Amino acid sequence: MSTTSPSLSPRAVRLSVISLLLLAAVAVALYVLPVPGAGALAEQDGWRGWFGHNMAPIMFAVLVVMLLLGYPVAFALAANGLLFGLIGIELGLFRPDLFQALPERVYGTMNNDVLLAVPFFTFMGLVLERSGMAEDLLDTIGQLFGSIRGGLAYAVIFVGALLAATTGVVAASVISMGLISLPIMLRYGYDRRLASGIIAASGTLAQIIPPSLVLIVMADQLGRSVGDMYEAAFVPGLLLSSLYALYVFVVSMIWPNSAPGLPPEAIAYREPNGARGVWQLGMLALFSGAVAYWVMGRTDVKSGADYVVLLLSVGVTVAFLAATFNRTFGARRLVLQTAVTAVLTAGAAWLAQNGWSTLALIGDSVAAGALYALSVALVERASGRRLISRMAEQATFVMVPPLALIFLVLGTIFIGLATPTEGGAMGAVGALLLAAMKKRLSLDMVRQATYSTAKLAAFVLFILIGARVFSLTFYGVNGHVWVEELMVSLPGGQMGFLIAVSVMVFLLAFFLDFFELAFIVIPLLAPAADRLGIDLVWFGIILAVNMQTSFMHPPFGFSLFFLRSVAPKLPYIDRVTKKETAPVLTSQIYWGAVPFVVIQLVMVALVIAFPQMVMHYKSAAVKLDDKQIEEQFQGLGNSLDDDMPPLEFK
Amino acid sequence: MTSPPPSPMMTVLVRACRLVDAVTAWLGKTISWLILLAILVSAVNAVVRKLFDVSSNSWLELQWVLFAAAFLLCSPWTLRDDEHIRIDIVNAMLRKRARDGIDLFGHIAFLLPFSFVMMITSWPFALASFAIEEQSMNAGGLPQWPAKLLIPLGFTVLFIQGLSELVKRAAIMAGHLEDTRQRAGGHQAAAEAEAERLLAAERERTAHPDTLPSR
Repeated sequence: MSTTSPSLSPRAVRLSVISLLLLAAVAVALYVLPVPGAGALAEQDGWRGWFGHNMAPIMFAVLVVMLLLGYPVAFALAANGLLFGLIGIELGLFRPDLFQALPERVYGTMNNDVLLAVPFFTFMGLVLERSGMAEDLLDTIGQLFGSIRGGLAYAVIFVGALLAATTGVVAASVISMGLISLPIMLRYGYDRRLASGIIAASGTLAQIIPPSLVLIVMADQLGRSVGDMYEAAFVPGLLLSSLYALYVFVVSMIWPNSAPGLPPEAIAYREPNGARGVWQLGMLALFSGAVAYWVMGRTDVKSGADYVVLLLSVGVTVAFLAATFNRTFGARRLVLQTAVTAVLTAGAAWLAQNGWSTLALIGDSVAAGALYALSVALVERASGRRLISRMAEQATFVMVPPLALIFLVLGTIFIGLATPTEGGAMGAVGALLLAAMKKRLSLDMVRQATYSTAKLAAFVLFILIGARVFSLTFYGVNGHVWVEELMVSLPGGQMGFLIAVSVMVFLLAFFLDFFELAFIVIPLLAPAADRLGIDLVWFGIILAVNMQTSFMHPPFGFSLFFLRSVAPKLPYIDRVTKKETAPVLTSQIYWGAVPFVVIQLVMVALVIAFPQMVMHYKSAAVKLDDKQIEEQFQGLGNSLDDDMPPLEFK
Repeated sequence: MTSPPPSPMMTVLVRACRLVDAVTAWLGKTISWLILLAILVSAVNAVVRKLFDVSSNSWLELQWVLFAAAFLLCSPWTLRDDEHIRIDIVNAMLRKRARDGIDLFGHIAFLLPFSFVMMITSWPFALASFAIEEQSMNAGGLPQWPAKLLIPLGFTVLFIQGLSELVKRAAIMAGHLEDTRQRAGGHQAAAEAEAERLLAAERERTAHPDTLPSR
């Protein structure tokens, strides 16, 4: 540490002193608690015996110091493992050829189908971000909800959840929403804390709503399938979005001025007669929903995440077809519209008659869309009233790309058509096609996305490699048994354990990123949780909701940081009102996040209190063929089992 | 550009670093395309498997070999661009000199020993596999030795890049080299660049108001 001392600032000195004191306290506490099994390792007397006996706690304490130095985590972890490996060899705890096991462990990290999903989903998210999907969604949904009280805030939550279900990348959502929605919110007098809090929090939904990177990494570390993890996270993710919305509702009821509705002149998309055309959208949504409900009633998917995803997909398909037919034929080409509708309806009937049950469902959906368009055209001919307004059309068209991707990725994973890795790959290809359709695809864009993905993959996988070098030594000195005993001996059984772990992860999340938490902390906690009879998928979701706070904690939460980088720092002239607008202060961003951190903790408590929210993953019909089951098992064995080093102790 | 005249030794070393950096970046950028290839292989394989019920283990194995090559050989490039993730909580409060000191210490005590140990253990590991032309455990899979050979290759490049980082940091501390990156911190730097890019795109968009129906 002597290299760091010459130029410390007073704040840093205080912080280092505090952390050192904490460390000392931890070390004393650890020394008092026995390390089981270590006695057998070190039979020598004197300090060598003492050191060998307490190597696990010492190793852990030194790791904390090494990580706090701020050198890249991956290499600090690995160096810690090597250092204590050498000490262990010197003390006679390990055989001298300990490090010969390292290449095999790196090979085990490479040979892992589950983690392959990480770059696939990252690439997909980066391409989507650059294809401008977020901008389109925010524009349209903001228009739709804008005039009601708190409307823009609801729009941000809704779009945040939709983006989360397609990308799984926090930065992208927060930055786009901060650029597009924040200026509008400020223009119409939203409370700055509420506005920035809602944007920062909605962006982090990408952490919990599948397909999130956290859940993939978590599944790998807990030895559970990614598909189960996704199914389990779906309901908590939706519930969490609703809690955010509930908060906005309560705040806007108590303080109406904190989230005013937009004035009518701020809303574009109007009918020729000046009406907004929202009820037409409601009618279309009602009809599509009813058709989707009817179609889904004829399948054997009855509940859970699969049902929601498929229902939405069918509904949007129907609405999309209705809007498309209306645009191409409409009242102007009534005859053509009638003919097409007749053909499609007859086709659907024929399919149903001849026992093509799956195709008949699709046929029915298509026919329903055509029928709606036909009715709309007839009404327009008869009365001149347009039943598909510009707003209805725009909202439908803008919802199609994200929903199509959600179906392609989550739908195929949930109904067992694809593994998460394949889902990620198809999603990435889908994102490229989408960008191409929007004419945003360019070599430069693909190059940027590829480079960013490669760098992210490199640092994530190197943290994992570092963690496995660390665990080779740490498990060798029975560190995992020590942690397990420490955790199992907590009072209160399952509940006590879950509460203690939640508090600990919440505190660690102040300065650890979720990758570090997932690779260092979770492998140590999982065996204890398993021994207490806690379902590991449930456990993983509790941790995932908790780790979401690591993005929102002031002052190091990345979500806050991203928002800070795009929110106005200086007073500026608003484009529309031409008035000078005050900037968003950093303290406002910090305080805005606090209520959402509290909501997050409420959500952790809810998941702990109501495990059935998560456990439905077990009942969901899993229709994997043999090959996929085999693949899933291959991914499974990697994390927990072979962390036990093949060592003999002298 | 700096006050003390650089010694000829230093000049040569810094020049060598430039060469190493350029090669590493070129390698990383080239290899990163393998991720796109892995995506295409995986997507095509999934579709073909569903539609025609044809697949083989070699296609499945190819995906992870491509990905492994990408992350192992892109890691030195990530190091060069200082994007390996750090815990900034203390580091961010220190002065530049202290941060430089930590980096120098980390290169010597953490990075170089680790990549060196990996290098000397994995060359025999890979060569043994090559000598017996080790095949896949799965029927119809790929040979294992090319994948195993990636480990020593990756760590050797990482070691060389680590040496380059060490020399550069020492040169910066001695005042022979200007530090182009004022603030280290992978994530944040990346986010800042991203935010700037988006801001520019937004400005360009708003410069033509008619493309924006809502405003």
